[in-house]
Amino acid sequence: MDFTYSPEAEQFRTELRSWLAANLTEDIVAATRHPGADDQAFELLRAWNARLADDGWAAVAWPTAYGGRGASVLEQLVYAEETTRARVPNPLNIIGINNIAPAIMQYGSERQQLDLLPRMLRADDIWCQGMSEPESGSDLASLRTRAIQDGDEYVVNGQKIWTSLGHRADWCQLYVRTDPDVPKHQGISCFLVDMKSPGISVRPLVALNGDMDFAEVFFTDVRIPADAMLGPLNEGWKVATATLSYERAAAARLYAELQVDLEQLVGDLATARVGDRPALQDPITLHRIGELVTRIKFLEVLCLRSISAMLHGGDAFSTASLAKSVWAESGQKLAALAYDVLGPADNARWADYRLTARALTIAGGTTQINKNITAQRVLGLPRR
Amino acid sequence: MNLEPTDEQRALRATVRQFLAEHAGVDAHVRQLIDDESGTTSQVWNGLADLGATGVLVPAEHGGAGMAMVDAAIVAEEMGAGLYPGPWLSSAVVAPRAIARFGAGSAAAELLSGIAAGDRVAAVGPLYSVPATLSGNGRVSGEFVVDDARAADVILTVTRHGEGLALYAVETALPEVTLGRLPGIDQTRRCFQVTLDRAPGRLLGTAGAQALSALVDDVLIVAAADALGAAQRLVDMTVDYAKTRTQFGQAIGSFQSVAHLCVDMFESVELARSGVIHAAWAVDEGDGDHRHLAALRLKAFSGQLAAVGDTAIQVFGGVGYTWEHDAHLYLKRLLSFSTQGGNADRYLELIGSEFAASVTAGQSQAT
Repeated sequence: MDFTYSPEAEQFRTELRSWLAANLTEDIVAATRHPGADDQAFELLRAWNARLADDGWAAVAWPTAYGGRGASVLEQLVYAEETTRARVPNPLNIIGINNIAPAIMQYGSERQQLDLLPRMLRADDIWCQGMSEPESGSDLASLRTRAIQDGDEYVVNGQKIWTSLGHRADWCQLYVRTDPDVPKHQGISCFLVDMKSPGISVRPLVALNGDMDFAEVFFTDVRIPADAMLGPLNEGWKVATATLSYERAAAARLYAELQVDLEQLVGDLATARVGDRPALQDPITLHRIGELVTRIKFLEVLCLRSISAMLHGGDAFSTASLAKSVWAESGQKLAALAYDVLGPADNARWADYRLTARALTIAGGTTQINKNITAQRVLGLPRR
Repeated sequence: MNLEPTDEQRALRATVRQFLAEHAGVDAHVRQLIDDESGTTSQVWNGLADLGATGVLVPAEHGGAGMAMVDAAIVAEEMGAGLYPGPWLSSAVVAPRAIARFGAGSAAAELLSGIAAGDRVAAVGPLYSVPATLSGNGRVSGEFVVDDARAADVILTVTRHGEGLALYAVETALPEVTLGRLPGIDQTRRCFQVTLDRAPGRLLGTAGAQALSALVDDVLIVAAADALGAAQRLVDMTVDYAKTRTQFGQAIGSFQSVAHLCVDMFESVELARSGVIHAAWAVDEGDGDHRHLAALRLKAFSGQLAAVGDTAIQVFGGVGYTWEHDAHLYLKRLLSFSTQGGNADRYLELIGSEFAASVTAGQSQAT
């Protein structure tokens, strides 16, 4: 039993810390709120992403050949911890870097790799992922956007939704149905689509707090070259599952983010009052803080157990399957505590978080779907 | 970074589990001893000694296994999973830790080797209430609660000693010692009101108040491991039932409402497991705030594991409400731990308070 990090990982931490100390500025940290709606913030983040890429800190898990560092799992863990604690904004292409790029590395042509990956890393191109549809949310494999071959082109018709940064994207990793006559997982193909293609129209979705981080993307007779296909015909589902491979320690962001949020919240509570006493002397407030401290620490250990299992050949999946739900529910408890004590007026950040936290148990797989996955794949309970 | 058990730890777990299943099963042993105040038989106790389980924390120089808290937590999990009703926690964990925390290793050498060999059983108290008092020539007086006192040959008694504390060994057979079993709801535990009326004791060691606080941390960590083992076994039993019990033509575990209850139980158990391994490791690594906070968090979280028992009985339905079914014994074991050393709410407030103090003082508790 050993919770300590290797000397190499600690050395990596030191290097990263000193780079961040020299390069990360307050305006960059501040730009992380509402980049979807704010042009100036968006361009500031784009420039920041380029600086990270140029110094080799944009995607440490990527192989060095594509501009990464080929970082070990522990180094990835340290990277997630340090960038989160320093409040480094997520890369604009976070989905591209973590999910799309691994598929391009595995299935793409050399030309696709060389043309697309460096520009993705610097945020010269913004990437979106066309997966969910109005009728295909949790049941992703039921997607209905069609692509029909016509000579050396495919013609695409359909609609995507919840497309992160769809309204700002230059490229889309698009999942479409190429064979409607086979079981749903077997008739899907993946394409890399230029968002300037005629017939694509994009409508930003306004979220409940006014943010514009998502879009609806409509495809009307969009013609895409057949060689834009990523992976073999009708094997898009396999391409989709290949996207998990590189960023193996991303779970560290979950607990590190909550740790930072909780410390900042408690710092803000230090000057607040509950009734006629300071908030930090109110037993119920302290109880709620204690609950969060405990759950967040145990979430950290849960994530470390999964990473340790990855390193040493244990069962990494059981613990990982729980981490997202625990993170999401803890985030919502934290948001509720902040709002309940600080209220709507004094602190816009926490009031806003009370609303944005609503997405935590929905985005990236609802808590209910997660529980189904845990029930079936970990506990071995039967499907209906 | 390596949180996987070693081969030795896997073997330790398997050995204890197999022994309890074969020689101290719930029907054949735990239920048979419900009215027995010692909670053990000499056959089972000697068997545990032969395995090395009674001496798990006794230093090798005194004939024990000289293992770490991480190892003791593994044995404790199996004790909880098997609802073991004997004095293992008191004699194999609390007593050796008390002796270590009070720096009494050499004064208690004979006792330690007796504990390891299974010839002597020790209990410890008071842990959560006012220490006993001393008068003249090592006479000890006090009224306090001690787990497993009937099975014990000796009670290691925490007493006031000047400005600090001392640990005295008081033989339970003495006429100055009276024991009364306390009523409770947990048939797998034995708890006693101990009255010492100027009982002659032997001084084992002295220490400051922080020794008792550290000892309480040790006890809560291993007791939480016991609760973890009980909760884990309940999850296993419940999931098995949900897979095999059919209603409306299908296994009830295929209903999402039932499946999600099982996942909730599993989540609680895995979070508690995270707390146990972290806290046990923190004790083995050294003393101080780090270890104390880990123990507080563990107690605060695991003190709510009775909810796993409640959920299990909900999934079992009516059969889970019967005396014949074992679910209630597990619920009761978890309820015992939930109040040991105070309830979870008290600890959560304390953790919140410690955290607030560290943030306002500008110190990060991260890492």
